[in-house]
Amino acid sequence: MSAQARQAGIRLGALNARERNVKYLMFACASLSVLAIMLIFLFILRESLPAIRQLGVRNLFLSADWSPNVSNPEAGSYGMLAFINGTIMTTLSAMLIGAPLGIGAAVFIDQFAPPSIAQVVRRGIELLAGIPSVIIGWFGLTLLVPFIARLTGSSGYGMLAASLVLVVMALPTITTLSAETLRSLPPELQEASVAMGATRWQTVYRVLIPAAREGLLIAVILGMGRAIGETMAVQMVIGNARQLTFSPLQRTSTLTSRIITDMGEATGVFRSALFAQALVLLILAMVLIVSIRLISRERKH
Amino acid sequence: MNDLTENKMEIKNLSMFYGDFKAIEDISLDIPSQRITALIGPSGCGKSTLVRCLNRMNDLIQGCRVEGEVILDAENMYTPGYDVIGLRRRVGMVFQRPNPFPKSIYENVAYGPRLLGIKDKQRLDGIVEDSLKKAALWDEVKANLQESGQNLSGGQQQRLCIARVIAVEPEVILFDEPCSAIDPVATQLIEDLMADLKKNFTMVIVTHNMQQAARVSDFTAFLLVQVQGDPGRLVEYGDTNTIFTNPSDERTERYITGRFG
Amino acid sequence: MSAGKDGRRSDRIAAGVFWVLGMATVALLLFIIVEILARGLLTALNPKFFLGKPEAMKAGGGILPMIVSTLYLVVLTIAISLPISIGAAIYMSEFARRGRVSGSIRFCLDSLSTLPSIVFGLFGMTLFVIYFRWGMCLLAGACTLAILNLPILLRGTEEAIRLVPNTYREASMSLGASKWTTIRKVVLPTAMPGIMTATILPIGRIMGESAAIIYTTGLFVRNIPLNPLDTAAPLAGYIWYAQSEALVNDYRRIVDGGAALLLIMVLAVYFLARYLGKRYQQK
Repeated sequence: MSAQARQAGIRLGALNARERNVKYLMFACASLSVLAIMLIFLFILRESLPAIRQLGVRNLFLSADWSPNVSNPEAGSYGMLAFINGTIMTTLSAMLIGAPLGIGAAVFIDQFAPPSIAQVVRRGIELLAGIPSVIIGWFGLTLLVPFIARLTGSSGYGMLAASLVLVVMALPTITTLSAETLRSLPPELQEASVAMGATRWQTVYRVLIPAAREGLLIAVILGMGRAIGETMAVQMVIGNARQLTFSPLQRTSTLTSRIITDMGEATGVFRSALFAQALVLLILAMVLIVSIRLISRERKH
Repeated sequence: MNDLTENKMEIKNLSMFYGDFKAIEDISLDIPSQRITALIGPSGCGKSTLVRCLNRMNDLIQGCRVEGEVILDAENMYTPGYDVIGLRRRVGMVFQRPNPFPKSIYENVAYGPRLLGIKDKQRLDGIVEDSLKKAALWDEVKANLQESGQNLSGGQQQRLCIARVIAVEPEVILFDEPCSAIDPVATQLIEDLMADLKKNFTMVIVTHNMQQAARVSDFTAFLLVQVQGDPGRLVEYGDTNTIFTNPSDERTERYITGRFG
Repeated sequence: MSAGKDGRRSDRIAAGVFWVLGMATVALLLFIIVEILARGLLTALNPKFFLGKPEAMKAGGGILPMIVSTLYLVVLTIAISLPISIGAAIYMSEFARRGRVSGSIRFCLDSLSTLPSIVFGLFGMTLFVIYFRWGMCLLAGACTLAILNLPILLRGTEEAIRLVPNTYREASMSLGASKWTTIRKVVLPTAMPGIMTATILPIGRIMGESAAIIYTTGLFVRNIPLNPLDTAAPLAGYIWYAQSEALVNDYRRIVDGGAALLLIMVLAVYFLARYLGKRYQQK
């Protein structure tokens, strides 16, 4: 069949004018998400530009001196390094606990639990995901912080309390997605391993977890996304100090907690510096999204 | 072929592509008015594809392309700008699996007339009753027209679908293996129904069941894929009696006597 | 890879560990629920509290305007985002072809669902509150939450639409219905119960959301908001405000009661969703 003859054939499925208008309207609804992302970037960037311009990248992002001046914003210093450190430290330590816990719970649901109990755990995790973060924060503030204080003799506020709260916030994401990944593995994998005389545990750690590696990694990364963005619950337990610290028991701040602590009274370059923190959050989130894309592309190959 | 019957449709050198794959090639055959034409052949021979070309249902599949002509009442339905929606009202279709909407029996039948803008309750009532009677379903459902069409048995559902097609008063009804998902008794009912409907409609039936083709049809076309990967081609077309008793092509004879397919 | 004596023992230990991990999550959930309810339920169910007006500086305040704010915000957000989601879901499931365009829409939806809610809050504040000059109000909060919830609402809606069997579409088109008529008369009515079920999950999220609304909707009001352009104080944000400012000396009572009330609302929505989901599946 020659190319011309093919051209001569009638292409099917054309829409009439009214159908096309409807299609455009539906398309407009769908592209709202694209518009929203672009506007969010645009506005956050626009609002943080004054701080970047006036203070410079070094004083803004690489300095840990955050001494705002409320009445005369220009006179203050706005280095956010302590909060970047707080965000990264709390997120990583939350993952250190949350990833094994969440993946373990997922393995329990998928492999070890009898169906009725697996269902109970699944529903429980769903519900946990729905509990508002102010409630988790209030719970942490009134129970966890005094508990840590009694145990360690510190104030109780700090990155340890924040990380534990973040474990609760990120756990549902990690567990749900890990369980989904494990369930989507071909059953032959497990059958083959069991048929060779492997125990369940051997099957889990030699066959299932390696096979689900990318999916589990994505689950943990999305859990990190939750942890990085969590605001209220962290703000309630981290102590909201401005100091750069690596101690889990000293008061400090994360990017999110600092934004809501200060936004109420911030003007001028002070306010702009808070938006620059949001910009950092935005960039961190995009890094996570892009890395998920890369991992899932890898998985397809 | 019988010169006394008028042709309702004429298929001329029709080929059909799904993307780069050619499903049927260079098929020409005439569909006589108020007769039943059967399309038979082994699975994958393109008979369903062919019947779906006759009301342009293949338009719904992405990447489909057609060459050649299908003439309906002297007009080629593949002319650019042809009114496809109007075409589908004139050429109705009954599918392989009964597919009533999740609506009441009444609403299923009234769906088509409502599309045509008929709102008058009495007129709709009349159309619904009339169509259900023609589809030999009225007596079984007249007491519970408001019940969901999906609560009927498989055979009843298929007759409901036939009633739904009749309600838009088409000129041609296409049946795409209408009995493949229902039991023998219900199949018998539908075959009787088709014989009745011949008075008013031109019909085309795709079937993998040769006895069914022999029982219900007046004309039969046999399609075949010669080598796997080839498009389906028309092997033989003619009077059903001739095809089944004295086929002129050896391949037809082999298929009918059950030697392949 | 054969299970020897050691293998069998390690298997038993592993099983024990996984049981502990799995049950720990449930125990944690139960602990939180029981603790919050035990502390706040009595206050929450006291009509003086849930029907009372809040106090800015003195003890004994109630919380009615906050409850109304939350419910108002839910209705407004769904009213804005549901039509958009349905439209977008129709496009994605019925019109879009796999390709660049639908791929980039999906990428943006994924991104939206991963962005921190505080970023939405700041965005809503700059665009709706300041740039559009609406001031802090229900409408600004609802628009912000509509964007925040678009991915999850759209995903549920699209799933419901995709569950409509193709044979319905074919049947309708073969009767001479246009594509749009088919969508309107057959696809949407069939998908509607699923779409309704998909709407309930975001309702719980809207009720619990605080970071995105504290700078768009408001933190404290004394009167019940009526107009979408009125400042309001949804419960979740107010709980945070009350404990962080601690301006009234019975703030603990208010936060405990408010938290219990919010938890009851969220649980009610969750179980309603489960109930409707189950009924929908049975049909």
